[in-house]
Amino acid sequence: MSKFFKNIFGALSEKPWEKEQMINDNYHQGKAFNLSNQTSAVIVIFGVSTVLFSLIVTGYLYSIPAEQDTQYLLKPNLLWINTLILLSVTFFFHKVTKDLKKEVCERVKINLLIIGFLSYAFLFGQIFFWLQLMESGNYVSTNNYFSSFYIFTTLHGLHLLGGLFFWGKVYSKINKLEQKEIINEKRSIEALSLYWTFLLIVWFIFFLIMYVFNDAVIEFCRSLLG
Amino acid sequence: MSDEYNQKNTPIEAQSSETMTGSSSGSSSDIDYVRPAEIPEQDLYHGHSFISKWIFCQDAKVIGVQYFLTAVFTGIVGLILSWLMRLQLGYPELVPFITAEHYYQFVTMHGMIMVVYFLTALFLGGFGNYLIPLMVGARDMVFPYVNMLSFWMFFIAVAVLMASFFVPGGPTGAGWTLYPPQAILPGSPGAGMGIILMLVSLSLFVIGFTMGGLNYLITILQARTRGMTLMRMPLTIWGIFTATALAMLAFPALLVSCIMMTLDKVLETSFFMPAIIQAGEVLDYGGGSPVLFQHLFWFFGHPEVYIVALPAFGIVSDLISVHARKNIFGYRMMVWAIVGIGALSFFVWAHHMYVSGMNPWFGFFFATTTLIIAVPTALKVYNWIITLFKANVRMNTVMLFCLGFIVTFVNGGITGIFLGNVAVDIPLSDTYFVIAHFHMVMGIAPLMVIMGAVYHWFPLVTGRMLSEKLGKWHFWFTFLGAYSIYFPMHYLGFIGVPRRYFEMYDSPYVTSAVGMNEFITIAALIVGASQFIFIYNIVTSLRIGKPAGKNPWKANSLEWLTPEVPPAHGNFGDKLPVIHRWPYDYNVPGAKDDHLTQTTPPSEVINTEVQKT
Repeated sequence: MSKFFKNIFGALSEKPWEKEQMINDNYHQGKAFNLSNQTSAVIVIFGVSTVLFSLIVTGYLYSIPAEQDTQYLLKPNLLWINTLILLSVTFFFHKVTKDLKKEVCERVKINLLIIGFLSYAFLFGQIFFWLQLMESGNYVSTNNYFSSFYIFTTLHGLHLLGGLFFWGKVYSKINKLEQKEIINEKRSIEALSLYWTFLLIVWFIFFLIMYVFNDAVIEFCRSLLG
Repeated sequence: MSDEYNQKNTPIEAQSSETMTGSSSGSSSDIDYVRPAEIPEQDLYHGHSFISKWIFCQDAKVIGVQYFLTAVFTGIVGLILSWLMRLQLGYPELVPFITAEHYYQFVTMHGMIMVVYFLTALFLGGFGNYLIPLMVGARDMVFPYVNMLSFWMFFIAVAVLMASFFVPGGPTGAGWTLYPPQAILPGSPGAGMGIILMLVSLSLFVIGFTMGGLNYLITILQARTRGMTLMRMPLTIWGIFTATALAMLAFPALLVSCIMMTLDKVLETSFFMPAIIQAGEVLDYGGGSPVLFQHLFWFFGHPEVYIVALPAFGIVSDLISVHARKNIFGYRMMVWAIVGIGALSFFVWAHHMYVSGMNPWFGFFFATTTLIIAVPTALKVYNWIITLFKANVRMNTVMLFCLGFIVTFVNGGITGIFLGNVAVDIPLSDTYFVIAHFHMVMGIAPLMVIMGAVYHWFPLVTGRMLSEKLGKWHFWFTFLGAYSIYFPMHYLGFIGVPRRYFEMYDSPYVTSAVGMNEFITIAALIVGASQFIFIYNIVTSLRIGKPAGKNPWKANSLEWLTPEVPPAHGNFGDKLPVIHRWPYDYNVPGAKDDHLTQTTPPSEVINTEVQKT
């Protein structure tokens, strides 16, 4: 991180009109970071999504009413299983990227297939959990907790679907390749892996704030709002 | 600028702080030496049919023109709405068909169209797409297909917005800030389909912009040509880059608020809705906060000002430098100011909310940050003026618009300092003083830059020059007319005339402000009509304008150095250009020409001297 800031601030302090700097600048290749375009795109999307999810959480924390009922969720429930599924997706991605680093490509295809399967399983799990919530009488308009819950899980799900779209493109391309050629798709797979890691982090934050420590968070917000 | 290079055979280690790829240990006795290309050439999709070449096109230049034309169309709709509003305020007897509901709908649609669909789309979508690949030396954007999708998403957003004029109840009339709860409750104009279409359209706009912004950021950071360091980029690119970064971080706030308000309207959630009794009946809403919406809206809304202003700052810097034949004064400071203003713009949003009932300490904090942001802004103004000082100024249409921008921006900026202070803002809040302030600073000032930029880059886009004579008429009508509209509005604000009022009823303002309202209306009609001089100039010049040839302004930046004018798809022919210098080498002592293009190798200008900046 410090190297990143050094790069940024270092670049901003250059004097492009000075002759020493001109000579150095002539060596420049035109890239700011040693990253593929795909990975750069994922990082930019991280930035946008981080703001998006942070604002939803902020909105939730801002609008917790004093009389909020905190005893409505059926603990333990499907959310724990869904969290485990998402964790295992990240585990498989870790295996794939590790294999690609070592240039061992035998299990890349099958692991990517498992990743896709587990991701869809997560999505179906989320929909199933929604059905459970609705059966227990908790709809999107029941109160602000559930409104935030539904909107967050929807946007997270849409993000995952977006990732699955690109996963589908990469997987169908890899599926047609010989094993030794898979390494050429390393950058795309690494970008996908990064994307899923971000989805996991977002999910964890949501899971902790709105579920595991929900009561404590609500208590804390109440004390702040006075 | 010095080209007196050390010609000894010393190994040169690259020192730029940006990432260097590959080995940098090669020594060279050649002062023109550049490292061989290590980034592979981009594969481009060349359309062959009319549809793939001009409609679903992946060439950023065509996409830029598409954005530009669509944004100008929305701008003309916004202009017509402003005429109708002014007629109602100045001569209500002439427009008996305008009801109070219509008036609020015109106010709302005019504001939203001009801020989001016109200015933002035009600067980032229009100028961004056309100029980024050309100015950084790239063949196209890094993801051309996504870039094409970005435009079509914008187009659909505009179509949805325009559709709201034709639904039962008409478009929303909630004011451009769309404050809940009134925006979605019966009683507000367009509270049915109108507000839903507005929210859907804004959501589509944000999604489309995110696709475009992804391209702008990554193209600028990762796809520049050899030798194009960040600090050799023209300030236009710095402005567009920083504004895009702001937009990528600010637009999610708009998206979140649009999604939440749509759910409040359609599914009866209560994100922004407190418990409400309407006509004696308790509504199903409860527990939400309207102030939360205001925070979200202005977290987007204030950076939005700079999303429009920063590209204007960048572009005007380049125009001034080219047409004053002088390097821009304080290039580094200009870059720092752009980045600094961008960063600070996220810490000032609640100065729009001094009268919202928020905690008074917020007012103290946000007034302070608002005044701090004036420092880098003022620095830029000084630098533009110092650049013009003792310069070889060409007093052409482009320069007139640049000067018009500086004056207007200073005027609008100073009234911003008034409004940034809580104690001054409270009595002036919701008066015409506010209208005058923001129209000067983010309406007329950026428009001056847009017009100057069109006169400047029209020869590149079309290969023909615009008429200077018509251009000067256009400038004087616009400049003097704009001041005739907005200077009196400051006075109206001081005497307390409130904004968003359909009429003044029996208030004392009727007598004191009626003459001034008539005058403003006449000026607005003239200024609006004078824009047709501009359109006429463009249309006729496309056919009979003087051929521009290559680089008619003798500029240094890369967009003027393409083998063909207008540039073809892929921009630079067989070989990408290699950069040897920054874009501001004008009137360099010792050089034969008064300008050294960015591709001029050092060996061609051995005897030139350093120009300090």
